[in-house]
Amino acid sequence: MEEFDGEPTVTWIPGVNSQKKQMCFDWGPGEMLVCETSFNKKEKSEMVAGCPFIHIIRKDIDVYSKILRKLFNESHGIFVGLQRIEEELTGKSRKAQLVRVSKNYRSVIRACMEEMHQFAVADKDSAIGRQFSSQVSILSAVELIWNLCEILFIEVAPAGPLLLYLLDWVRLHVCEVDSLSADVLGSENPSKHESFWNLPGNTQTLTELELRWQHWHEECERHLQDGTFASNPHLESLCKVLLGDDAALLEHKELLSNWYHFLVTRLLYSQPTVKPMDLHLYAQSSLDLFLGGESSPEPLDNILMAAFEFDIHQVIKECSIALSNWWFVAHLTDLLDHCKLLQSHNLYFGSNMREFLLLEYASGLFAHHSLWQLGVDYCDHCPELGRVSLELHIERIPLTTEQKALKVLRVCEQRQMTEQVRSICKVLAMKAVRNNRLGSALSWSIRAKDAAFATLVSDRFLRDYCERGCFSDLDLIDNLGPAMMLSDRLTFLGKYREFHRLYGEKCFVDAASLLLSLMTSQIAPRSFWMTLLTDALPLLEQKQVIFSAEQTYELLRCLEDLTSGRPLCGEPDAQQLQDDDIETTKVEILRLALARNLARSIIKEGSLEGS
Amino acid sequence: MGETVSVINTVDTSHEDMIHDAQMDYYGTRLATCSSDRSVKIFDVRNGGQILVADLRGHEGPVWQVAWAHPMYGNILASCSYDRKVIIWKEENGTWEKTHEHTGHDSSVNSVCWAPHDYGLILACGSSDGAISLLTYTGLGQWEVKKINNAHTIGCNAVSWAPAVVPGSLIDQPSGQKPNYIKKFASGGCDNLIKLWKEEEDGQWKEEQKLEAHSDWVRDVAWAPSIGLPTSTIASCSQDGRVFVWTCDDASGNTWSPKLLHKFNDVVWHVSWSITANILAVSGGDNKVTLWKESVDGQWVCISDVNKGQGPVSTSVTEGQQNDQ
Repeated sequence: MEEFDGEPTVTWIPGVNSQKKQMCFDWGPGEMLVCETSFNKKEKSEMVAGCPFIHIIRKDIDVYSKILRKLFNESHGIFVGLQRIEEELTGKSRKAQLVRVSKNYRSVIRACMEEMHQFAVADKDSAIGRQFSSQVSILSAVELIWNLCEILFIEVAPAGPLLLYLLDWVRLHVCEVDSLSADVLGSENPSKHESFWNLPGNTQTLTELELRWQHWHEECERHLQDGTFASNPHLESLCKVLLGDDAALLEHKELLSNWYHFLVTRLLYSQPTVKPMDLHLYAQSSLDLFLGGESSPEPLDNILMAAFEFDIHQVIKECSIALSNWWFVAHLTDLLDHCKLLQSHNLYFGSNMREFLLLEYASGLFAHHSLWQLGVDYCDHCPELGRVSLELHIERIPLTTEQKALKVLRVCEQRQMTEQVRSICKVLAMKAVRNNRLGSALSWSIRAKDAAFATLVSDRFLRDYCERGCFSDLDLIDNLGPAMMLSDRLTFLGKYREFHRLYGEKCFVDAASLLLSLMTSQIAPRSFWMTLLTDALPLLEQKQVIFSAEQTYELLRCLEDLTSGRPLCGEPDAQQLQDDDIETTKVEILRLALARNLARSIIKEGSLEGS
Repeated sequence: MGETVSVINTVDTSHEDMIHDAQMDYYGTRLATCSSDRSVKIFDVRNGGQILVADLRGHEGPVWQVAWAHPMYGNILASCSYDRKVIIWKEENGTWEKTHEHTGHDSSVNSVCWAPHDYGLILACGSSDGAISLLTYTGLGQWEVKKINNAHTIGCNAVSWAPAVVPGSLIDQPSGQKPNYIKKFASGGCDNLIKLWKEEEDGQWKEEQKLEAHSDWVRDVAWAPSIGLPTSTIASCSQDGRVFVWTCDDASGNTWSPKLLHKFNDVVWHVSWSITANILAVSGGDNKVTLWKESVDGQWVCISDVNKGQGPVSTSVTEGQQNDQ
């Protein structure tokens, strides 16, 4: 066990400041609960009201900001596109594509910054306005770092072009530099500079460029020595600056906004063909000179320094510490991984750094009511641990609407996450039953392949029918198809409804056979037999003979079965006796009808056809 | 890693005495609390709000823990108390009622934990009488009870289920058939031991392993959720101030090795894994809840300190959060 670099953040929870109490806690899907308690279990209550508050706390994630949401959505698109980049592309074309991706990310960041800036300016004096302002600074820092990483790690600018890129980098980010200073410090003799670097089809080698620069530098030096500018201290100072004299540059420190501006300026005038691997030396000295021992480096400075040292892992580590949102490190690391720059850093959990960061980021997305869909894609592109992470998160998404539930289910089904599908369908079936939406409950049970629940819901349907004399959700029951086989009770429900349909269509013979088969095949529950036999009555009373003799015998047998099997209940109360009366009458009516039908059917079958 | 947290909601439970436990439901929409005032309360906490949904009375002593069952079984909550009872509450037609009471223990029941939903509706209860009881819902309001007597001498303080794992490959079972799960759970007791229990084929529970490392009463055990790796992980904390993280390489099957997370200066009462098992929260006698994460090199590192007491509270100004649903 070791402590991390730097102290862990301490978060204070408001509460009664008591010496004797502790804090208890629990995890929610996206948050934590804490409350005051005393773990030392005593039987007597202390008669002192403790603090009755429970605090729900959550990591400061930005998913709830509307503007950042656009960032998350657009970067998601870039991320997915990146994963699909042709693996076969190598060399220059691959590099060009990766650089393009990096620029896309940066433009998305800048767009977001722009929008936030508008809000910040519009709302200058409120707390919200200030929050926007601080978000803008954070994004600006993020883009600064990303841009530098792009130059050093993705573009891999060699000596020569490196300085140009760095110049652009500084110009882009140092907006406060006013035009005058830009002239003084950046573009003296612009034509000479441009002609050095920007000739189309410039076939000069680095050595040639160096020689030419050296020549020009020496000329400047000579002018200074000869006192050409002695009469004009400004011009002399300017000449020194052009020679890259540190002291001269620092005299104009107020025109340099920061140490990396200073660095690039120094390089421009003293080491324009600086090699990437030497950068860090100049960077370190620039930082030291600029701060001058008055202040210490800030997190951003450390990150930039790590980049200049080409220590990618340190950059990622520092960014993880400095920024509370995982968005930046996750996407940057993923991109660098595609550039094949990350050694696989094996965590104890067996995942690599890229997956670790992407899944941390995705976890935050799942907390949001619509961004969770983006989280799914991030999990998909983590071959080692993404699936399990998705399984754990997806079950916790609150299924607030049917539409959302269907979306979640589709995600699970597309990935053959059958356990999650079942579990979610069961939750929905249970919710539906509790809200008395039987049709919905039944279709969820079928989708969950939950036989027990299907039986339960079918029973409810049948009970409803007995009470009200009609079925609800006929459409569903009529179109069960092979799903009917899920449970016996469900099969019965489907077949029983079919019986009613046949009867309604006046296909009496078919209806009669079906009715009988429901009892003889034991599909119908015993409790329902009386209802079925009663349903048979109208068929027995028809003018034409519907039940054959054999069928009538069967019916009689069923009736006998039912009546002989009836257990004696305990104390018969008035209702019971009344029920018994009704039952007895019913049975008598049935017996009569069956007997009559038997007679008619025997006669009919015994007679010649057509008579 | 320098993460800041903010209080996003404060629920005034109005409990009249010490709160002993607070648990979020599966989706983070409801909060259940229990207290020495003998009541169990349920709040709806969606969208930063707090609406009292139920104030459940039935216990005759301080209520120590509450536990939510999986939502596929409906809205069900279990509570356990000093009064030796375990009560299972259920929401029926919009109201919460007692649906079952279990009185099989001779002493305070300290801990309740629901099994993974794949096993059905099963509740494990640990008691100061040293026994662990397992309640299984068999349908139609009936609960079957299995008891493990003398699980821990002097008393059992905590129970925690292992995540559901199907032996062999997960073949899609035909409907109605349950795969053969190997059900396991861990318990911690006053005998300084952590014990792992396994259900045999005949339905009886057998002690499978003893994990010894603590020198005083084990106060809590927490089996980490499965994240798809072939290792199992259990966290334990004790009166001796130590928190251990135990791991077992499932390939070998039965060797559990402890790693000391930290030695605190006081009793450690409670440990709990986050949903995706990457953060362990530890609550100690020193008024703090610390969050721990495994770092790149396999070491456990403290990433955050949640401290009780007076001090500046950073409340996040999240624009649009209230209107966002």
